[in-house]
Amino acid sequence: MSNAEDNKPSHDQLSSQVFLDLVDSVIADVASECHRVARLGLDRDLEVVEEELRLSVEARAKVADPSNNLETNTKYVVDIFGQSHPPVATEVFNCMNCGRQIVAGRFAPHLERCMGKGRKARAKATRSTTASQNRNSRRNTSDNNQLASGPPGFEENVRRA
Amino acid sequence: MYIRKHSVNRPPTPDEDVTESPERDELTLGEIINIKLVESGEKENLMELVRDRLVESGWKDEMRIACREHVKKKGRKDVTVDELIRAITPKGRASVPDAVKEELLDRIQNFIRSAAI
Repeated sequence: MSNAEDNKPSHDQLSSQVFLDLVDSVIADVASECHRVARLGLDRDLEVVEEELRLSVEARAKVADPSNNLETNTKYVVDIFGQSHPPVATEVFNCMNCGRQIVAGRFAPHLERCMGKGRKARAKATRSTTASQNRNSRRNTSDNNQLASGPPGFEENVRRA
Repeated sequence: MYIRKHSVNRPPTPDEDVTESPERDELTLGEIINIKLVESGEKENLMELVRDRLVESGWKDEMRIACREHVKKKGRKDVTVDELIRAITPKGRASVPDAVKEELLDRIQNFIRSAAI
């Protein structure tokens, strides 16, 4: 900040210095912001670019590799992004009905049992104990929200029709 | 007779002629201006003005792009704030629009003149 030539810096020099000071502050702000975004991985575009680069390198390696049986790889289909899809979906999530952890590929059969919608799956159970229980409780309480066992009366009606 | 609280302990007031003058001589003109700017609140006004102008003119976006370029090169995990500042400062200083620079310098010079230093 000290000037070698003058003891009294001119107004121009002084104002320039102040101006540069201000600009430097704004630059520091921008740098700090970008640094934060970068380190926290908030910049999705950056990640996407990195990921695509990586995948294209992988894909290129696969194509270049002659020992790969590109056509006989029918069990695990590989798409253009290099992802393979196993025949049974493997993702695990929580059933919204009973709250258990279910494998996606087994979700439909689970729901059948869980909600009692399948014709044969819950037939025996609904008929014997739970059906009479439900009919009793329905007489007592008007509001019947029994999802777990399903509306047995409805099922029986459906079957009759 | 009163009890002096420890929290009120403070060094004795320095003598006027002994300690005051050397301190004043050490302060450069630039520093004095800066102090006056801050004390009057004008520094804050100027900062806000600069920020607004630089955002409007797209300068900030250009700087953000420059930062991203740098981050891409260095890898996002290794980059430091200092590094980023060093990387973009030359470009940043140079790419401030002339109109913005003029406006700011004008205001600063007015302040200096009115501060009568």
